[in-house]
Amino acid sequence: MGFFTSGFFWFLEGILFCIFLLAVRAWTQDREIPMTPWKWAALVVWVFYAGFTIAFIGTSLGENEVSAAVRGGILFGVIAVVAGVGLWRLIKIGSGSVEQGTAADPEG
Amino acid sequence: MSKGQRPIRKGSLYRYLIIIVALAVALWYGRSRSGPDLVPHMREIFPRAAAFEPSNGIYAIFSEQDTLLGWAASGRASGYGGPLLVVVGVDTSGEVAGARVVEHKETPLFFRMVRASAFFGAITGRSFAGIDYDYGEVVGVTGATRSSEAIVAGVKDAIRRVAGDKFDIYLPAPRYPFEFGILEIAIILLFAVGIASSYFTDSLRELLRWTSQVTGLVIIGFWKNSPITIAKIVSLLSGYLPDIRSNLSLYLLIVGFVLTILIMGRSVYCTHICPFGAAQQFINLIGGKNVRLPAWSVRLMTATRNLIVFAAVLAALAVARPALASYEPFAALFALRGTILQWVLLLVVLLSSLAIRRPWCNFFCPVQTCRRVLQGIRRKGADLPEASYCE
Repeated sequence: MGFFTSGFFWFLEGILFCIFLLAVRAWTQDREIPMTPWKWAALVVWVFYAGFTIAFIGTSLGENEVSAAVRGGILFGVIAVVAGVGLWRLIKIGSGSVEQGTAADPEG
Repeated sequence: MSKGQRPIRKGSLYRYLIIIVALAVALWYGRSRSGPDLVPHMREIFPRAAAFEPSNGIYAIFSEQDTLLGWAASGRASGYGGPLLVVVGVDTSGEVAGARVVEHKETPLFFRMVRASAFFGAITGRSFAGIDYDYGEVVGVTGATRSSEAIVAGVKDAIRRVAGDKFDIYLPAPRYPFEFGILEIAIILLFAVGIASSYFTDSLRELLRWTSQVTGLVIIGFWKNSPITIAKIVSLLSGYLPDIRSNLSLYLLIVGFVLTILIMGRSVYCTHICPFGAAQQFINLIGGKNVRLPAWSVRLMTATRNLIVFAAVLAALAVARPALASYEPFAALFALRGTILQWVLLLVVLLSSLAIRRPWCNFFCPVQTCRRVLQGIRRKGADLPEASYCE
């Protein structure tokens, strides 16, 4: 049985996930960023989505589908990064240091 | 000279002249090349063929024993990138022996999709005399609808000629339905909103612009994947005018784009309609940054963009294949199809959109080059500043 298909891998993954959430909690408390339930929910959804993206790339590469890994990685990766940036800005709401959007008119 | 009007600089005049002459020479070279040889394709359709006797544009195919194997004729239709030529073989019993695309100007990636599909196999073996002359199930290879429809139209054109000349069966000429649906209505409305928005208050104008962009992104982008591309512009420049009945949306976009710039001086297409521009704008809204690059780098990237567009158009005209010029990653985003280069370009553009406003429009988009040329014409040839953001 390979490492990535073993129960030990999922055990490690669970530990890392818990550590990540604890780290986020400590980090937001240090910076006095209020974490509401919807922020936690959005964060967990994003983490699972990012995990799916990594899994997609890894599985595709494992199946020798390099093209699928590149294309899927780019597509899902861009969505993950953009959503991550959006989530970052959402999480910072209420911290008193929210950056305002600066989108202005393109006037052709 | 009126206020705000700039003098025509000699340098820019020479530059425009050189560009026009180079493009004209490439166009002439591309169009003057000799036509394709049909014989190898007919030989593929009829492997036992030994002799080909043309008459009225229809080839009679004979074996080595001088037995008549069938007939072959060419058919023409208008594809995505320009005219498309097919050759169709019909055996003596009236069944289609095979079809081959002899010449096309489609995007290579999309044409490969059609060729890899069961498309040609579905045509072979059909009897045009007894069937309904409708290849419904072979039309519309997903993602390459326009190309597959054009091939069917070409095949029908060829079969109609053989059926009428050799079998005395007169099939109706292919009909091109007048396509006027949600896409065309949306384009007209979006241009109307974009033009009228100049007269509204700032807040209403902002609301209308976002509404237009969402509409453009959904309808022209993800649903129809029909933004203006360099391939379409080159196709029109080359004189390949697709049938207006089935390509009304293209004409509406091009005419609207050109007229709004020439009359109003601004591109309503770029600000209110372009789906890729909207995608960048949304991502920039999420990123919330607007990094202003140094003027020298903007100048450098704008010049590089113009050079790339010029080289792409020149190459496409010289080989008479407009689709070759297309380097935009639109299909990768809206149809999930593209070359690796287009996917990488999409990655770079979308990620940089988080911090830079409309990076594609400012540094890569061929439509921006056209916009600047048209704005230059509007200003009576006066040179535009080299570095300017699309804002």
